[in-house]
This record gives sequence, structure tokens and C-alpha cells, in this order.
Amino acid sequence: MSCERMRPLLVRLADGALPQPRRYFVARHAAHCSQCAARLDELCAIRTMLRTKLPTHRAPPGLASRIVAALPRETPPAPSRPWFRIPAFGIASSGMFGALAGIALTLVLLHDGGRDDPTLRNLIGGHVRSLMAEHLMDVATSDRHTVKPWLSARLDVSPPVRDLADVGFPLLGGRLEYVDGHKGAAVVYRRAQHIINLFAWADAGPNTGFREQAQQGFNVVSWRAGGIAYHAVSDVNSDELAAFARLVGGT
Amino acid sequence: MALDDRKRRFEVLALPHLDAAFNLARWLAGNTTDAEDVVQDAYLRAYRYFSSFQGGDFRVWLLGIVRNCFIDWVRENRSGRMLFQAEPNAAEVETVWTATPPDPEALLLETLDSQTLERMMAHLPLEYREILLLREVEDLSYKEIATITTTPIGTVMSRLSRARLALRKLWLGAETKEASHVL
Ligand SMILES: [Zn+2]
Repeated sequence: MSCERMRPLLVRLADGALPQPRRYFVARHAAHCSQCAARLDELCAIRTMLRTKLPTHRAPPGLASRIVAALPRETPPAPSRPWFRIPAFGIASSGMFGALAGIALTLVLLHDGGRDDPTLRNLIGGHVRSLMAEHLMDVATSDRHTVKPWLSARLDVSPPVRDLADVGFPLLGGRLEYVDGHKGAAVVYRRAQHIINLFAWADAGPNTGFREQAQQGFNVVSWRAGGIAYHAVSDVNSDELAAFARLVGGT
Repeated sequence: MALDDRKRRFEVLALPHLDAAFNLARWLAGNTTDAEDVVQDAYLRAYRYFSSFQGGDFRVWLLGIVRNCFIDWVRENRSGRMLFQAEPNAAEVETVWTATPPDPEALLLETLDSQTLERMMAHLPLEYREILLLREVEDLSYKEIATITTTPIGTVMSRLSRARLALRKLWLGAETKEASHVL
């Protein structure tokens, strides 16, 4: 094939968008043609330059809350009724049955077990939402060397991401999360069949010990260290979650 | 209560992409204030049409809306200004490729710093800037870019090629004139 006709194919090759077998033939041509090889190198160099050096602009603080506040309110406020004991029907109708419907039903049965702590409620809401919305992970990998930089590139904080597979808490990934008015990270671990969401956001307060709470059938362990507030939320039993918190939070 | 649930589902799906939406709007509009207006409008519009979201990649859907809002915003605020500039014809582009055969000069790309790159990007036609962002920063496929920009996939590929070439030309021009400060 002539070099002329190679040009658009080289672009697709550089973009990783050339399926086999053409990828093989184009790469083979480039391997033996210095002009096409140089062109391919240059395309890759331009791509790498943009990917590594182009500054990105983060949303200004407060934009998220302004947007949320501007969304039309379609139902009267119902602060005494946590939203998450409602969605059993929503889940069923959106086609998610089984375990998740079980969770929702549990919520319905256990609701209003204690005093109304909005932060706790929001944390548990965030946890349940992550399971419901099929949006558990933005970056799904057990490689902490991938998860941590991915999060720190997008956040003001860089929470520790640990590999705890050998002690029974394999890392599943991470995502960006808005909980309780904070933009932060959710690092996701697994304990047997249970999901643990570790929420982390910037909080300049002093370091604290571990505080354990339970509500709605979920356990929450909270602490603050190194300018980051942490909340581990899961339906694993409280001892296991406390052990997890100490593994993650222990410096 | 179902509607309240809808609102929460929207927040969960949409808010994680706020930085991506803002970055696109910021690069298109050129300043923070206008970008904020565009993004806020886009989120309201996305919420209004949330029921028309048919699944798939929410970010792609949302970025398409951001783009539409930006176009509307320009129409309302800068009437008469040409939005997307005419593309150079393909023959002209091919000539440039041929006229400057790839050589070690290309390696100079590696020495480019972020500030210079940002200035160069700002000098590119809007549609070049946009497509480079969608491809390299948002890491979207040709097909996803075609969806967002409502452009045939073949046009996406050729425009992307031209955008990269235009960037390369700016850079090589700046190099030979030793005038990166001119940009
Ligand atoms: Zn060749």
C-alpha cells in the first residue's frame, strides 16, 4: 500500500482505533518505511504532549452546590423522612432485584432507629446510592498505584489507598463522590460479599480517634487524620469495620 | 417521592462529571465566569431532559449538552461573531504534511511546556480546540466525539488530523522564529 493511503490509517493507529488485521499491516508498513514511521512517532508525540501537559480547569468550589440548589424542587421538602427508605419500588422498577432490593427492604424495616444525624444519614445514603446507581467505581482496579493518582489528579486531597487483599479487604477501585456537601473520594473495598465505601474529603480539623456509629443497619466508623475526614460505611459487622478502619487509618 | 428519587439519581450521575463539563466549557468559552454560566445552564437542561437519557455513557450525553449550551450562549451573548471557523480544505492540509516531512524537529514537541501549549491551544480554531480536548483530555472515542459534536465519524477523524497538524504548525512556527513569547 502506498504511503499516501497510509496517512489516515496511521492516524487511526496512533489513536488505537484501527482493528485487526489492518492494524498489523499498517504497523508492518511503518516498521519498514522511515517516512511513515516518523509520521507515526510525531502523531504519538502530539497525543502524549496534550495528554500530559495540557492544563485542565477544575470546577470552582461552590458550583456543585449552586447547581444542586438551582435544580427545580419537584416535591415538598420532607426532612423527617430519609429518602433511602423510600426507593424499594424505584429499584424494583429499574430492574435491579435480588441483593439490592433486599437492602432497600431492610432500610424500610429499620428506618428511624435512632436520632436524626444528617451527616450519618448522608453517608449511608451515599453508600446505598453507590450500590443502587450502578456507579460504584469511576476507576475499577485493584491496583492502588492506579487508583491513588487517579483520585489525587481530581481532588484537593490525596487519601491513602492501600492494598489490603492479604488481610481480607481487597481494593475494588475508587470514584469521585459528593456526600454531605463535600466533594471527595470514595475508595471501595470488599469484605467477603460486602462492599465498604471509604469516604474521604478535606477537613482541616485536628486528628481524632475512631468513632463508631450504627444506623439503618449500617455501620459507620469515622476519624480525621492529616487534614482528611474519613468515614468507612458498610453493612459488615462493626468489629470487622473497626478493624478495617484501623488498617486504613493507621499511619 | 419518586421525583425526589429522580433528582438524587440525577445528582449521582451528573455531579461526578462536573469537572469534565467545566473544563470543556472553560476551554470553549475562554474564561471562568462564562464557563460557569454555561455549565449551570447545561446541568439544568440535562435535568429537564433527564428522562430522555437512554442509558449508555452519561458523560458523553452531558458533554453534548454542555456543547449545545455553549453554542446557544454564544448566539445570545456575542451575536454576529463567527462561531466555528471554516475548515481548511483537505488538499491544503495534505500539502502541508508533504511540504514538511517529519524530521527530528518533531522531537521538540517533547520540550514544550504547559503554558506555551495552553497559549497555542487558545490560538486554535474553536472546533480544533474542542476536538483535541474531547479526544485527549476526555479520552473519548471517534464515535463518542461524533455523538457529542453531531458530526459524521469521518469528519471527526479528518478534523482531528487537521487539529493536530495545526497545533504542530503553531509549534514549529514558534520554534523557528524563536518566538514562543509571541504566542
Ligand atoms: Zn510509508
